[in-house]
Amino acid sequence: MLEFMDYIQQAFYEGSHWNYENSYSQLTATARALLDFDTPRGLRLNLSSLSSPNFATSYAIGSVGLVDGSLSYLYTSLPLRTTSQSGNVDLHNVIRGYRQIQELRRKEESWMWERWQGGRRIDKRDTLLYGRLYLPQSTLEGLYLRRISPTQQLKLSVVSDSRLRNGGTVLALHQYDVGKYNAESLYSTDGGLIGFRGLYNFGPDPRKETTEQPPRMDDRFYGRFSAGAEMYYGSLNKSGGVSFGGRFATLPAHKGTPLTATLTLNPLMGNVSTTYAVKAGENLALCSKFDFNVYSYESDLMLGFELWRMKGRSEPRRERSIAAKLEWRADTIEEKATPEPEQVMGVLKARMDQNWKIGLLWEGRVKELLFTLGTSIDMKRRDQPFRVLGLELQYSS
Amino acid sequence: MAFNFNWSPLTADAEFYQRAKEMLTTALNKSPKPPIIVDDILVNELNLGSVPPELEILEVGDLAEDRFRGIFKMCYSGDAFLTLQTRVQANPLNTYLFSKPSFTSPQPLAASSGLTIPLQITLSEIKLSAFIILVFSKQKGLTLVFRNDPLESLKVSSTFDSIPFVRDYLQKEIEMQLRTLMMDELPAIIHRLSLRLWCPEYMAKEDEERAQTEDLDKVEVVVDPFGSPPQDAVDARGNVLHASEISSLSLDGSSEITSLFSQKNLLRLAALNDSHRTLSLFTPSIRDTVFRAWAGPFERGDSAGTSTPVTPSLVRSQSSICTTSTTYTFNKGSDDGHGHMPSRPSLVSLNSATTGLGLGAGRHSRSHLRKKKNRVVNLRKSKTTDDITSESGESEGSMTPASEPAIPTRIPEEPEDNIITPPRSPSGRVRFRTTSIDLGDSPRKLRLPTAARPALASQRVPEQAILDPTSTAEKSQPTAPIFSQDKLPSYNNRSAQFPAEKNAMSSTNRTPYLEPAPMLSDSTPPGILEQAWVLKMAGEMARRAHDQKVVNQGFWASQPRDEREDSPPPAYEPNVL
Repeated sequence: MLEFMDYIQQAFYEGSHWNYENSYSQLTATARALLDFDTPRGLRLNLSSLSSPNFATSYAIGSVGLVDGSLSYLYTSLPLRTTSQSGNVDLHNVIRGYRQIQELRRKEESWMWERWQGGRRIDKRDTLLYGRLYLPQSTLEGLYLRRISPTQQLKLSVVSDSRLRNGGTVLALHQYDVGKYNAESLYSTDGGLIGFRGLYNFGPDPRKETTEQPPRMDDRFYGRFSAGAEMYYGSLNKSGGVSFGGRFATLPAHKGTPLTATLTLNPLMGNVSTTYAVKAGENLALCSKFDFNVYSYESDLMLGFELWRMKGRSEPRRERSIAAKLEWRADTIEEKATPEPEQVMGVLKARMDQNWKIGLLWEGRVKELLFTLGTSIDMKRRDQPFRVLGLELQYSS
Repeated sequence: MAFNFNWSPLTADAEFYQRAKEMLTTALNKSPKPPIIVDDILVNELNLGSVPPELEILEVGDLAEDRFRGIFKMCYSGDAFLTLQTRVQANPLNTYLFSKPSFTSPQPLAASSGLTIPLQITLSEIKLSAFIILVFSKQKGLTLVFRNDPLESLKVSSTFDSIPFVRDYLQKEIEMQLRTLMMDELPAIIHRLSLRLWCPEYMAKEDEERAQTEDLDKVEVVVDPFGSPPQDAVDARGNVLHASEISSLSLDGSSEITSLFSQKNLLRLAALNDSHRTLSLFTPSIRDTVFRAWAGPFERGDSAGTSTPVTPSLVRSQSSICTTSTTYTFNKGSDDGHGHMPSRPSLVSLNSATTGLGLGAGRHSRSHLRKKKNRVVNLRKSKTTDDITSESGESEGSMTPASEPAIPTRIPEEPEDNIITPPRSPSGRVRFRTTSIDLGDSPRKLRLPTAARPALASQRVPEQAILDPTSTAEKSQPTAPIFSQDKLPSYNNRSAQFPAEKNAMSSTNRTPYLEPAPMLSDSTPPGILEQAWVLKMAGEMARRAHDQKVVNQGFWASQPRDEREDSPPPAYEPNVL
């Protein structure tokens, strides 16, 4: 489940029309959400509030070992009109599951951002500032996010911690996204790491106005293929890394079963990783991942699924009205134009790898509280299979 | 004098290498490994080679059949080698991300995917040069300390020798690990093993020991130091270096078992014990002695259920009449006598646990201390070793950690059997250690929990009734001072460091409560340590007497304990340091 501050950040991306998913680092977002979810440790409470459209606070307290906690504050120059109440928020927005990629949107032109008043531009760039202090570790996280233009975004992440070398690290990430492709460059002060990432989407270019509809055939996959690469080089420790990846995912207009398949390669380390995820039903998604290393012949298999439990809509039992009985006919059933959205009771996520390590996660809502209950089980250790057990509660207003 | 260092017999033992490998494996996997090592480190091959290390004796502080203390200079450049096997993470990006905060992680998609490679490392051409301080005693085991970093150089050859970056990295990491292994782990391993080998009574169950307590000699007989093969201690360290010393040492003194305590002292203590048992007024004069009721710090703490024996506490014992001196006893449970609890876990839980250990533990505890402080101390110094004492004291001082309290920390290196020697000038002889000396429990501390005791009294009646010599002494010698002599300046200096306690003491030191402590001395107390030892002896004797009586008669079990119900003066609340 997304933390409140991450949820607010997502709202910021949405509000500023930034396509968060169009990035090489999000290529395997579906598999990560279904297979690499974090199970909470211990008891954790989050108390959050979007007190004004521009300001959010969050407090967390946990009991991992000793009591620890964090305070976080967020300011955004872009007023956020998202639902922040934990009782009303849509669970689909806070629980990461199967990620349905969307059609590429055409980016706004930069002149669309211009606002003029009295012959002067008064528009400002949307900015997000975020800080989080962990206690008692005295670790400070900071984030500066700025939309430079409709196609560019700058992200500065800072961690200050006395235990880190040089007392902290800074990561600068510049993202350039035109829809058809995305390019990112980053620099980290830790080891002088320089990195480049790129993603290219095959298919129609959203920048070009196309009047003709793409051919639609029900027996063919309608989706998008994307390919990308990343490259890192640590300028201080002279180390690096490269990977390539590709993804095919069906688009919402696809008639059949939605699916996502990815393939990533690490040519230096000889690592091949494939994932395949299927949204088998309305409320069920399955995912598998297979890793293989051509140098060491090590392989890894992981299976997982997520199951959304919906609150059964109890149809009010209708009695035939007296009038209908008298007229020897059935009541006319007035169909609602839009069926009521189903209430999510909870989501069950499970994963298992070939070492019989099982992770279970149950997320949902009780009254006004969002909860995450998770455990990880190691079946190979019969004496104490439950390795981690945790419960996380969130309340936000 | 000749030392016989045997190097080749080490290799002759078929089991030796196997055990050494196991010990090394556990030692290598104990400390947290760098992220590049993703698997356990296994010791594949170990060979001590045929070239023994060169040893130069710099100083022999103490030498007897059952104990040894000396400083060596060791050089080694032999043909020993060691092959380790483990698995390493070959992706530098993976290890780079390992300990970095995830918030600023670049979050690579697949560039950080791991590639683990089996790695074989051979350590050869090991060159060592070190000063070694070696203390050995049958009772205390073997303590070996490096005074400097022993590792001079070694050659690391591995699967990745063709890649200079990896090779350099491995060389650096392995040297670092080896240094910590030698400086920190190795002495601990050696000590633990030597204890197990030479002090079999520590392995015995506590009740067995209690059964043996009837006979003093029996205990000494049990302590058969060299019944087990000395080579074991050597391989325990898993190190090539100092094997010869240890083996030779052990072989030196293997033949005889010497009595640890002078017969004179034992006789006196027995007489004292008898006098207390019979309420006789006769008190044999034992110098520099404070009589204590209980030998171990845990007994009363447990019976009362209130005090926490493991927490360090400051206990003051003080003369009752016409003196202003105080003796501070620092009881730090984890440091002294019972710091070796893991090997005898039941010691803490049972009240009479220390009974059987009185002699062995008393001596043994100091060996722990010494090991911890890198001290070389001899309790049974010969008459001529005063200069050696001071020398070793100096060398100790140089090794003392900076964090040690400013209180002068010298152990009195007093011959146990020179009780009849005339008192010397106190300044040079009284040395004091803050955290070291286990005086057992002083009577003050023992009395502390009296308020809470009634609840448990029913179970404790026999033992307490017997073991409270203060009550009997109260009747017989109400005015006996603990320390009759003029006080040592060092004591006063020390007490100045604890003004609060001193004030409290001065306000209460005339209370009749303090008087019952029987006094055994009329000469200058030469040192806390010796006192402590004698105290332990006394407590031990009382213990034995008690045990015998418990066995023999039930009379003492019904002894009224009402005189002990009075609550202690507030000044004697335990001060938790």
